[in-house]
Amino acid sequence: MPATTKTNFQLVSNGILNENPIFRLALSMCPAVGISTTVMNGLMLGIAVLFVQVFSSCTIAAIKNYIHPRIRIPTYTLTIATWVTVIDLVLAAYVPAAYKEMGIFVKLIVAFAIITMRLETFACKNTVSASFWDGIGMGFGFMFGMVALGFVRELLGMGTLLGYDVLGFRPLLFFVLPAAGFFCVGIMMAVFNYVEIVYNRKKRAR
Amino acid sequence: MNIVIRKCLLAAVLTVLAAFLTTGCATEHRFIKKTAFKDTNQIVIEFAGPVDEAWAKNPSHYSVYEKPDPDIKLKIQTITLSPDRKTVALTFADPLNQNQPHVLTATGITSEGKSLGTAILSVKKVYLGYLFSILIGAMIINNFVFTKYLGLCVFFGTSQKKSTAVGMGITFTIVIVVSAMMAWFLYQFVLRPYRLNFLQIVVFIGLVSLSVQAVDTILRKVNPMLFKAFGVYLVLVIANCIIIAVPLILADNEYNALESLMLALGAGLGFLIALFLMSSVRERLELARVPPTYRGLPIAFVVAGLFALAFLGFSGMSIF
Amino acid sequence: MKQIIRITVGLTISCLIAALVMGSVFVITDKAKRHNEHVNVQQTMLGLLGYSTSHPAPPELKLYSIYRYIFTDGNVNTLGYVLPVLKGGGVGYQLMEMDLDGGFVAQHPLDLAPEDASESAERSAALRKAIKPPKTFSYADATIVAKLGEKRLAYLLPGEFPGFKTFIHVMLALDPSFEILGLEITEQEEDPGLGAEIKQDYFKNQFKGKSFKKIKELHVVKEPLPEEYKAYLESQKGKESPIPKAELDVIRSRYQDRDIYALTGATISSKAVTDGVKNMVAKFAYRINRLDKVISARNIPAVF
Repeated sequence: MPATTKTNFQLVSNGILNENPIFRLALSMCPAVGISTTVMNGLMLGIAVLFVQVFSSCTIAAIKNYIHPRIRIPTYTLTIATWVTVIDLVLAAYVPAAYKEMGIFVKLIVAFAIITMRLETFACKNTVSASFWDGIGMGFGFMFGMVALGFVRELLGMGTLLGYDVLGFRPLLFFVLPAAGFFCVGIMMAVFNYVEIVYNRKKRAR
Repeated sequence: MNIVIRKCLLAAVLTVLAAFLTTGCATEHRFIKKTAFKDTNQIVIEFAGPVDEAWAKNPSHYSVYEKPDPDIKLKIQTITLSPDRKTVALTFADPLNQNQPHVLTATGITSEGKSLGTAILSVKKVYLGYLFSILIGAMIINNFVFTKYLGLCVFFGTSQKKSTAVGMGITFTIVIVVSAMMAWFLYQFVLRPYRLNFLQIVVFIGLVSLSVQAVDTILRKVNPMLFKAFGVYLVLVIANCIIIAVPLILADNEYNALESLMLALGAGLGFLIALFLMSSVRERLELARVPPTYRGLPIAFVVAGLFALAFLGFSGMSIF
Repeated sequence: MKQIIRITVGLTISCLIAALVMGSVFVITDKAKRHNEHVNVQQTMLGLLGYSTSHPAPPELKLYSIYRYIFTDGNVNTLGYVLPVLKGGGVGYQLMEMDLDGGFVAQHPLDLAPEDASESAERSAALRKAIKPPKTFSYADATIVAKLGEKRLAYLLPGEFPGFKTFIHVMLALDPSFEILGLEITEQEEDPGLGAEIKQDYFKNQFKGKSFKKIKELHVVKEPLPEEYKAYLESQKGKESPIPKAELDVIRSRYQDRDIYALTGATISSKAVTDGVKNMVAKFAYRINRLDKVISARNIPAVF
């Protein structure tokens, strides 16, 4: 893939819609199923991923000319691990309650395929500013996915949003149960597919 | 021939296992053969010879406490002596917390008029049973895929065909055992003593890459056939969050070497089981008429959700 | 060869930079983390005593921590209490050793400043100075005594017990007659929607006001929580409640001596919490009575 010709806006919207990490690329599914029970969780983890993605992308884009091709992957891993450690320490220190809710998943960002993939396919070939916008797009795409799932699950399962009682009753406790994460992700993906199918059909009709 | 040897081996292993599971723990006093929990509120002491009834039936000769609370003595309700006077059963007023080791002191044991001194015994659940419960726990009850929702990317990527699923599962099990043991060692002897806990993530991910590389090299040299079959999965292993989650859990729970081995093995085998189950269903799904919007991953997720619901039924189960 | 050197140098430099970044972040955040943890615990404790930002704690309120250790010398176990005592007008710490039957063994002065006492490393260092080598010690638990002026207001007990999935960490407040003033779940990893409901007001507030006598035989009943009781339990959080005060008192007296209503679909978690609380209260009451007896018999100038 040659250096990108997309504008910054296109890079961001690409991450949120066309190549949404959760629903389209189907990467980083674990947190999407595991801790998307509330909007707050989704938001917090989304911020953490955004941070790691943006900083790692920029770091790699900045030093891409100095990386020996033989040690490309170890360098990526080291970069990601460093930024994950940083965000892990910061979250543990300043928002302990939310950090406890997310449990092990913050540390597991290090194994998220999405971040390595963006470094490999994008950041090592593009400028710092393009990588920055790409990272923002991917991070927001992930956050959008997590928040959307959290919205559905929290509203239907607990009748609350961000902890505030919205409905006053609990429509379907099932959605908060851990296993329902799979169903929610499956259904959301189907919705994305449906939109794509309808969109393509319209395009062809034109 | 080969099969016979294998069967013999399996039988031997099973007998040893069974022997361990049925016997209680060996004790520190020569006159006492074993001590064990029975039911919810009993401790049974087995002596090597008959003891005097007058001694055995006197509750003031025994004192029992939970190991962390030496100052709180448990109340003994009744004492029963078996007809051959070799087994004493202590019944307690309240149910015992059998997850805690208990300390039992029997003062001035007398057998046929002779005094045999005081015995301080620990009563605990059979250790092998505990190890086994960690293994089964990680494998089924707390299956990493269906109850902890980890390793999903690789799980959905490699569960299309049974052959791929089994190959991935086996490769993964090997790598996770190797890397978890190394991680345990480094954590216990380097990271913790020097208070470098915050380096956990970097160290563990480094170890995982290292063990993947090591298994790759060794397999390539030692058994090229096997490498051909499993080599492709090695790269995927590193993208699986379970492999990094297991060392983190080990570090959190302060497991010892054997327990860590069991957890890692259980996690690997659990992943294998999950992959196998899923691939069996997905092979059939190929033939099913799925609505176009659900084709591929979405329906796989729904199936995984059903599995997760089924696995919810295991939760809270305890063995031994 | 040249390549290998380049790779090595490159890797070393990147590792060094990474270590530098992580190390400095660790140093910066560590202090904040400890401070925040301390503030959190403090807030939980004050919350259990009924104080909040709108109803702040009076300045006479003092919290004193007692730390219990188990000493082992061969086969002999003793209890060691690290007690806050009066020392030259201020507060100092003293180690009091007690045998398993509640008899006094020895007392040692401790070189421990009050502000360091909450750090376990500092306490261990002070203890190592005070006791002789063949004897080893292990930390058991802590108790916080809240004192308002001259009288004891409450005991705060941090504790943990196994729940349905992992350990549940709680903070329990008892008044001097061991009646439960409140229960707070500080850490848990039960299933969301099921076991995790133990942290909701309508479950944890059921423990409030249970007398010492009742706690001893507290059970869990699998009955639906009555609506009026639920409304009562949820009205406790200082918010304007829709139920008039007189009615609240009626409901309270009606359910005061009832058992704990289990959570729907999470009986094991409910039972784990109930049994854990029961256990904590029983053990604590036993120990504090013995401790008080020794303290008054030996005239130890304890501040609590």
